[in-house]
Amino acid sequence: MPARISKKNKKVMKSKVKRIGRERIKISVQKSEVPLQVAVGESKFYLGEQPSRAYHPAQELPAGYGRDKIVLMARDPWWIYAYWEITSSTIDRLREKLGHAFVSSKRVLRVYDISDIIFDRKNAHRFFDIEIPPETNNWYIDTQGPGRSWCADYGLRLTNGEFITIVRSNTVHTPLEGPSWITDEEWMIPEDLFARLYGMGVGFGSSPLKLKRLWQERLKRELGSGAVFSISSPMKKAQKRGFWLAVNTELILYGATEPNATVTVQGQPVSLRPDGSFTLRFALPDGKQAMPVKAKSFSGSEERTITPVVTRETK
Amino acid sequence: MNKGYLCIVLHSHLPFVRHPEHEDFLEEDWFYEAITETYIPLILVFEKLINDKIDFRITMSLTPTLTSMFCDSLLQERYIKHINKLIELAHREVERTRWQPEFHSVANMYLSRFYEARSTFERYGRNLVNAFKSFQGLGKLEIITCGATHGFFPLMEVCRASVKAQVKVAVSHYERLFGKHPIGIWLPECAYNPGDDEILKQAGIKYFFSDAHGVLHGTPRPKYGCFAPVYCRSGVACFGRDLESSKQVWSSIGGYPGDYNYREFYRDIGFDLDYEYIKPFIHPDGIRINIGIKYYRITGPTNDKSPYVPDWARDKAGEHAGNFIFNRQRQVEYLYDLMRKKPLIVSPYDAELFGHWWFEGPMWLDFLIRKIYFDQDIIRMVTPSEYLSENPRNQVITPSMSSWGWKGYGEVWLQGSNDWIYRHLHQASERMSELAKAFSSKNTDGLMQRALNQALRELLLAQSSDWAFIMATGTHVNYAVRRTKNHLLSFTRLYEEIKTNSINEGWLSEIESKDNIFPEIDYRAHQ
Repeated sequence: MPARISKKNKKVMKSKVKRIGRERIKISVQKSEVPLQVAVGESKFYLGEQPSRAYHPAQELPAGYGRDKIVLMARDPWWIYAYWEITSSTIDRLREKLGHAFVSSKRVLRVYDISDIIFDRKNAHRFFDIEIPPETNNWYIDTQGPGRSWCADYGLRLTNGEFITIVRSNTVHTPLEGPSWITDEEWMIPEDLFARLYGMGVGFGSSPLKLKRLWQERLKRELGSGAVFSISSPMKKAQKRGFWLAVNTELILYGATEPNATVTVQGQPVSLRPDGSFTLRFALPDGKQAMPVKAKSFSGSEERTITPVVTRETK
Repeated sequence: MNKGYLCIVLHSHLPFVRHPEHEDFLEEDWFYEAITETYIPLILVFEKLINDKIDFRITMSLTPTLTSMFCDSLLQERYIKHINKLIELAHREVERTRWQPEFHSVANMYLSRFYEARSTFERYGRNLVNAFKSFQGLGKLEIITCGATHGFFPLMEVCRASVKAQVKVAVSHYERLFGKHPIGIWLPECAYNPGDDEILKQAGIKYFFSDAHGVLHGTPRPKYGCFAPVYCRSGVACFGRDLESSKQVWSSIGGYPGDYNYREFYRDIGFDLDYEYIKPFIHPDGIRINIGIKYYRITGPTNDKSPYVPDWARDKAGEHAGNFIFNRQRQVEYLYDLMRKKPLIVSPYDAELFGHWWFEGPMWLDFLIRKIYFDQDIIRMVTPSEYLSENPRNQVITPSMSSWGWKGYGEVWLQGSNDWIYRHLHQASERMSELAKAFSSKNTDGLMQRALNQALRELLLAQSSDWAFIMATGTHVNYAVRRTKNHLLSFTRLYEEIKTNSINEGWLSEIESKDNIFPEIDYRAHQ
């Protein structure tokens, strides 16, 4: 899943993060957890557990579009997703140009923090490198930096430390993970008052917890809801049952008469098929059922009654 | 005098699922089920309130994909077939359960519900847009729009022309259906990305919603938290969602829908009954599916379920409505003291929660509205536009990127199972902009124009956030993958044929009749 980052790089980033001075909320997600709102959304598409139906497209989407390109997408306050395409002709050109240096070079994503500046390649607040296996074409980047602007280069890092940019990405902005520190003069609001409103806002009542902790609690609660799911339906998926057995009985009553006759079973009218036959199906509970079947001729002059009696007993 | 406002928002959405190429198509059932279980029950609630002369305000988004399906004659005809089959089955069920009184009464309940669904559907000329439109005309409902195909805007940041197209196409579709300009929008997945408000402004939209943290984490700090709307710098208003009231309905701990007296969603006769008996009513391939007749109540934490008792459920729905109001009153009083201003509580829900998932949801809403009207005067129901006209002065902030999805941002729609789609979606979007630009000033002939318009339809259909959502949740994954790929492949073929001026008219007509959404579309919207 998302977190793919070399240990070495992580170390580099951690020290950088300290400088920024925002703590990061640790989130670990297990795949089996189903959050509430996802479950309700999913129910729209839920028609019962289905065997998966095979799908073979007539045609596949292309593996690439023949252009060097890298795109960043901000996923949340911490993570950025990057995808890229580097054409083989670009790689060939570099191989030719660099010769031996190409063979020993590393493919690298260089991620720049460019918050509040006009980036000129040199003035980034900081950057970090992620080594990427050559055949990979996408990566989840743990920026550890909410509320910052980012851009990235895909390129080669030579053994002498030189970095050669192949493509540069767009700029993305990771959202804040908590309330802004900027307050509006015109609309000044005391910290404690805001904390109470904030607590109400994130669904914790007027609890005196610190602002950021409230938000963390909300996230934790969402993550934790998976565990609560198993307690009661419907806020969960259908439970997977262990070994089980269910037995029910049904009774089929059928017969035929003149097509224009009227028939009742236990006093209730029955509709006949064009050939005068009829079939009824009943769930059969324990006990005794008498089923008087009464047919009356069209003219009303003749009448027959037959009464089967059935007893069900469960041992 | 009231001390605060309550704004209930129902977001109604289904992706465009219409398959004329098959007589019976499993995924179309999403739509038919939602009609019977959600849209018609809600319509009946609104009708009765109006007949009883009870004033109320509900804000409802009807997504362009959903309204397109409401208006489609093929789907209308198929719904009639669908409901007729249900009626036939319900008749058999009434008969079959004759010796089991506890099930018999529930079977009768379904039978009369299905008849009522059919007659309501017919009464509105088989087009439910007419129903919602009439409630809007009476001033009870404020209908807002959504992204044309419910694309997830923050993940379109590198190709904002697509965000523009999503908004523009939605707005002209709304105008055509409702005969007026939409004043508000429900951003798909309640997902806001700073800057998107400029696009809304250009489209003449006055307000949107964001999740609580969209406002709370905005810059500068919002003075009233999410209990008053804010303006973006563009002047478009943003209404933050209140999580306290959401929690009472959504929460697994003490959330209303989990009450043991309510109907169990997962026990359906499509799976419970004898195969031979149920076979004519399930999928023609013989795959068991949910049918919509469910006999059990939630009962308790185990798989042992007891029969549903409609009266008990009804009592509970009334009790829960009273509880909801009580809590809102306390919330409003508390906030009123804190803010020295009437707070606004914004409570948005998926409309399909009501009736489909939470069977008693529409009944709860009915009780809620009646109790608010008759029993109290602390809270007042309001629509966003009403609120803004009464409270035009609000703080200016830039809300934070956010969504109402799991964990609050984009993770549901961008993760290992679905991230592969974006390189293709972005490429197609870029190509669409290229086409729109190349042909914006040229006089396009009929065939070329048709191809360009269809290219935009295919692109928009590929962008539905539903496909990524389904890939992430794991049911019907193949269908979602197929839809994404097929629309992208059709788009690419159109792009190539347009570029080389070699449009295959036969094939174009074929996909036009298949993906026939937005007949009025103009490809120039994508620039």
